[in-house]
Amino acid sequence: MGETGDTMRVVQLLVFGLGTGAFLLIATLGFALIRRVEGFLNIAHVELMSLAAFVTWYFNSSLGWHFLIAATIAVAITALVALVIARVIYDPIKHLGAPILLISSVGVAFLLHGITAAVVGVGIRSFEIPRLDAWRIGGVLVTPYRMVLLVLAAATSVGLALFLNKTRTGKSIRAMAINRELAGSRGINVVRTSRATWLVSGVLAGLGGVALGVLGTLTTDIAFQQILVILAVAIVAGLGSLYGVIAAAFIVAFAMDLSLLALPGGYRPVIAFAIVIVVLLIRPQGFAGSREEVTA
Amino acid sequence: MAELLRIESVSKRFGGLQAVDQCSFSVNRGSLVGLIGPNGAGKSTLFNLVSGLHGPEAGSIRLESDELVGRAPHEIAGLGLARTFQTPRSFSTLSCLENLLASVPSRGEQITSAILGTYRAGERESIAAARQHLELVGLQGRADDRADELSGGELRMLEVARQLMRDPKILLLDEPTAGVTPTLQVRLTEALKQLHAGGLTVIVVEHNLGFLLNLVERVVVMVKGRVLTQGEPGSIRSDPEVINAYLGRRGGDAA
Amino acid sequence: MNWGQLAITVVTVVSILGVLTLVLNMQYGHAGMINFGVVAYFAVGAYAYVLVTQAPPSEASLDQYVIGLGLPPWAGLIGAALAGLVFAAITGWPTLRLRGEYLALTTFAFAEVFHSFIVNEQRFANGTRGLVGVPRPYRETLDFVDYDIVLAIGALVFLIVVYVIFERIVKSPYGRALEALRDDELALITSGKRSRRFRMEIFLFTAPFAGMAGAFYVWYTTLVIPDLFTAEVTFIVWIALVLGGEGSNRGALIGITLVTLFEELVRAIPFSTIRAAQVAAELEVAALGLLLIIFLRWQPFAAWTKAPKRVARS
Repeated sequence: MGETGDTMRVVQLLVFGLGTGAFLLIATLGFALIRRVEGFLNIAHVELMSLAAFVTWYFNSSLGWHFLIAATIAVAITALVALVIARVIYDPIKHLGAPILLISSVGVAFLLHGITAAVVGVGIRSFEIPRLDAWRIGGVLVTPYRMVLLVLAAATSVGLALFLNKTRTGKSIRAMAINRELAGSRGINVVRTSRATWLVSGVLAGLGGVALGVLGTLTTDIAFQQILVILAVAIVAGLGSLYGVIAAAFIVAFAMDLSLLALPGGYRPVIAFAIVIVVLLIRPQGFAGSREEVTA
Repeated sequence: MAELLRIESVSKRFGGLQAVDQCSFSVNRGSLVGLIGPNGAGKSTLFNLVSGLHGPEAGSIRLESDELVGRAPHEIAGLGLARTFQTPRSFSTLSCLENLLASVPSRGEQITSAILGTYRAGERESIAAARQHLELVGLQGRADDRADELSGGELRMLEVARQLMRDPKILLLDEPTAGVTPTLQVRLTEALKQLHAGGLTVIVVEHNLGFLLNLVERVVVMVKGRVLTQGEPGSIRSDPEVINAYLGRRGGDAA
Repeated sequence: MNWGQLAITVVTVVSILGVLTLVLNMQYGHAGMINFGVVAYFAVGAYAYVLVTQAPPSEASLDQYVIGLGLPPWAGLIGAALAGLVFAAITGWPTLRLRGEYLALTTFAFAEVFHSFIVNEQRFANGTRGLVGVPRPYRETLDFVDYDIVLAIGALVFLIVVYVIFERIVKSPYGRALEALRDDELALITSGKRSRRFRMEIFLFTAPFAGMAGAFYVWYTTLVIPDLFTAEVTFIVWIALVLGGEGSNRGALIGITLVTLFEELVRAIPFSTIRAAQVAAELEVAALGLLLIIFLRWQPFAAWTKAPKRVARS
């Protein structure tokens, strides 16, 4: 009896992990894209997610609009904000190097967080979406919204892959990710492609923020708590392709959720922190990329 | 032992390119050797291998009795090897004087000495030595100017002075006259001759054959990563094989 | 408004956080290491101080903590310094070869791990409740004066001592080597010097001071709770460093003074509603972020290269 009980628990946690992985995938795609194309770690990414979540909440819960409309508006606004921030704040200091951009993004995170929290105020918020009971499939609890997220993550990945491979802008973005100067000399409009990249990253951040609100209740701090987990996924994935991010997202998610078998729930995020440390110490380039890009 | 540096069958590959291919030659103590060859012959790569920035796949490099392969760059520098780079390197925010001071060990680089200030006596001596070296390369007037205010040619002279300050056993110069005015070239030649007379061993990579002929006793010719031939400057210059190797290449030599 | 009390608070906080800012300046400004986990050294020192000086845990008390050595305050101070050193050695040594941003990540991760640890491990130091009522040293003997003033002066003296030590390093050949390292690491290496040794030394040498600052902080707050030691502290110190501008120790102190004044002034405003106070606090965060962005753009650390001509140090 104990063994089946344990197996059930593992299966339950794996199912739970699918949802976590889906969320992490959506949340990290935009972050990884900027890391690859613009060359720095944009800490403010999580605050863009927070922005999207609260804009959705505003239109959905506060004004009473339909959730999908609210979400669409939020994603659009987030994409625009991402672009504006890039043009006004990041582009002028690009020449100062990745470390300076990283520090700057902390400032942007503070700025966004402060404004959002000042407007929203304290307290817990949630979306006005239909309450769906969990399904019981073969003794395992499956939360519908987490499965929706899985579908969304799959759709986003496919959509992004199609975009990057089939559209001209997408191909330009890929070229820039490989080598910015080379792409420029081959006739790609670096400035326009850069802007497109920020818009895409913003859309992805927006989707991540909406996902946050779908998964649970919202507080103004909830997004920042995700930054290390997102960093963990990005580090594990390395600087390679989309597929690395997909694999990394689920690896980190399963690691975190399966840890509940052995550790109290409070340590769940610590798994992600530990992953960051261990990966950077042992194989800093993650799945893909060269060691030289990460070591001094 | 008369032989100071011995390079034996050294090979280095970068991806699909065999940059250095079983290269062998040796340099005697106190000699002035020129290293020439068309662009891409592997001269700078060889310097990088000797100074430890890359590791060869095969071969051995010995400085006196010490094997250099496998050692870290700072270790090799500590054994008495000095080198300059094709694009001169310097400490841009330090003054010329400080550049030289930063290139030699100082007691003040120990934290306790730094805090207690016990380095001052030794520092005075170092400053005097530094001024002498700046004079040797003609930069005494720029002693207190920041390195990033120097012209390209002056930067090269600064780099040479920095390395000479270390009192090395052997000095590897990578295209020291590129971008240097004829006046400074003369000064550099004089400085090198002076040091050579004092026992310094020098290997000079150069495209400027006029400069080399004035200076070196022996020339080693590298082509496609290996040694083509070596000999006295006069005979090398008229060697048909050498001329062949240079024919049709751009950015060649001054006759 | 009690300007006197405000002044005492500002002096104390500036002194304590100022030491952290100086530590960060040495680590980043001079040795080029981006430490996004500064708060951890501070926290480790604070907790070590408490565990060294508290009486051993008893069955009767409701507080849980792993150890209590019951030693006097000066031993606690040493304990705090040692704790900072050990934490730096464990977390810094393997990661120092990482490039800038990735060192930032590991230091950040380590700080969050420690924070999670003190929150989750009730047995370590009472978890989120923390330990309160930590006695201030010599409280009874100094009953005749305002202890807050004594502490402010003590903290200020500490700050000055740290400043003098760090400045002497910066102005010496050691500081020159650090500048050379920043300018061209390869040139330094080919001159026979090990870049890693300088970085490691600065990292390890400055950490104990951050730990001791933690002890001073405990004297100031008389308690340790995890909420005091969040990433926010790290980033406040970073903002102070950037605001101070020049990447110098003096700049670091200017920066932390400005930031602390700003924070304390906002805190001192008598708001009519809680909501107003909350909005002000959040807008303050936004303002700090904005200042960071602005100062980094117009006075980035790259501006070191625009410093005026100097004569040789001797």
